[in-house]
Amino acid sequence: MTVLIQAQGLSKNYGAKRALDNVSFEIKKGAPVALVGPNGAGKTTLFSLLCGYILPSSGKLSVMGHTPGNAALFGKLTALPQDAQLDPRFSIAHQLNFYGQLQGLSGAVRKKETARVLELVGLSEVAKQRPDDLSHGMRKRVTIAQALIGSPEIVMLDEATAGLDPIHAREVRELVSSLSNEATFILSSHDLTELERLCSGVLHLDKGVLSEHQARSSTQDNKHFITLQLNQHYDDVEAKLAGLAHVHHVYMSQAKEYVIEFEKNAEPFDINLLHFCYQQGWQYRQLVNGHTLENQIFHKES
Amino acid sequence: MTQLHPKRLAQIAQFELVRLFLTKRGLLAVAAFAICWLLILRYPIAQSVTLISSPDFADFARQAFGAIGISKLLDWPESELAVYWLIALFSFPSFCLFLCSDQTVGDRQRGTLRFLSLRATRSEIIIGRFLGQLLILAALLFVTLMATVAMLGYREPSLLLSGLSRSFMLLFYLLVAVMPFIALMSFLNTFARSSRLAFVLAILFFAGGNIVIGLLTWQWPAFEVLNYIFPGYQLDLMAGQRAGVTLALGLPLLQTAVLLLAGDRIFARSSL
Repeated sequence: MTVLIQAQGLSKNYGAKRALDNVSFEIKKGAPVALVGPNGAGKTTLFSLLCGYILPSSGKLSVMGHTPGNAALFGKLTALPQDAQLDPRFSIAHQLNFYGQLQGLSGAVRKKETARVLELVGLSEVAKQRPDDLSHGMRKRVTIAQALIGSPEIVMLDEATAGLDPIHAREVRELVSSLSNEATFILSSHDLTELERLCSGVLHLDKGVLSEHQARSSTQDNKHFITLQLNQHYDDVEAKLAGLAHVHHVYMSQAKEYVIEFEKNAEPFDINLLHFCYQQGWQYRQLVNGHTLENQIFHKES
Repeated sequence: MTQLHPKRLAQIAQFELVRLFLTKRGLLAVAAFAICWLLILRYPIAQSVTLISSPDFADFARQAFGAIGISKLLDWPESELAVYWLIALFSFPSFCLFLCSDQTVGDRQRGTLRFLSLRATRSEIIIGRFLGQLLILAALLFVTLMATVAMLGYREPSLLLSGLSRSFMLLFYLLVAVMPFIALMSFLNTFARSSRLAFVLAILFFAGGNIVIGLLTWQWPAFEVLNYIFPGYQLDLMAGQRAGVTLALGLPLLQTAVLLLAGDRIFARSSL
């Protein structure tokens, strides 16, 4: 699979503060990749480095074989940078047209593109309006639209659904999902459930240090896991689950949620587990094949 | 290596023209400019013949512009253009500092440059916007010059052709004269935090810089050479048509190149 982005020993310092510490990773063409981490973990710094908005203090970064900011990447890498706003003095269509023009699209094509991307984010009717006439959520969707002009190969969305109402956040997720065959999306968000739905690979940053995960990891070091979420609290769940055949270990990851490590064999463990829940009179909310992303990243088994 | 694509440069420059003529703020600036120039055209330029032939004019000009030696101007048959030249030569550069005070800083603060920099190199942005401002100034100079020539033609139709020919030469010299002022604002925009601050820094540069160099020159006369760093140093001599080509064209072009290069280097390394 084609490697789109390659980082080696990437560090970024702001004065005495180290925002990114010797980060190395590869992003290949394909399914969306999530960038997660708490506030101040270095996500936006990494985004800014990938877009060429800032320069690294040390290390190497290559995007499709070029340094970020290189003209060869224009139209191929697009982004929704956090908190960036369009010019309030021009209409939305005028600005999107201009971006299309800079990307080398001809007059008729860029008009069509402007109409197409605005339709994708459900804002065709605001084309003639200025950004200041729009609500915060609409402005956000317009800035997502600008990232979809042309045929980008990498689309980076920093907190794309932050500040959007649930319906439009869902629409943006569906949009990313539907376009993920055409471009590789890199998404940052605090909503882990959202990222879990959309992404396969996860880059987790914490205090500038990076670790990589799989969004739906059902195996780890040849161990198999299932995460069971129950509707309510029941007594002795851990002990009862641990007594099941082929179960190695059970722990409660958070209230009403249990992670079960089991040995794979000919019998379908998940079906047996559901039977067991039914026998015990436990109502389950969700059965996740593997670890949830939240547990992978934040849970430290006590 | 600096990447400059002529097509993108032209597109960015063209967008600046639209910014002035198709936005409310731009139109307000144009309206204010038009009113000022209507007054200038109506009074000093319309009455240029009386003004220049007046025995008090030399005294007035001496008081207004210092001992710049404008005797050559008094010989022009197109007296409207002589007055235009004096006014435009000193007013356009100052107007330039105000008009060009927000080339990149507003977009940088708002984050709009982040969208642009994914589609154009930073050099293209800074130089494209410089060219855009230059186009705007060229348009404004052209309009005011044509109005002056029209007044000249109205007074004395036989002078129309020579007036047109002289006005194109003036347009060229004026454009070159404003270049370093635009470039100075391009340079200041790369690190100022607002357009107002960029404007204040420009004023400080001229006022403070002149004081510092004045003091240095007073102690060590060799430092007088530092005056060449100030855009517009040649304007006094140009006003009296006493500046050679090197001073009238070479100096502002060199200042422009140095300021744009310095701005480009700072902009290339700054965070967006």
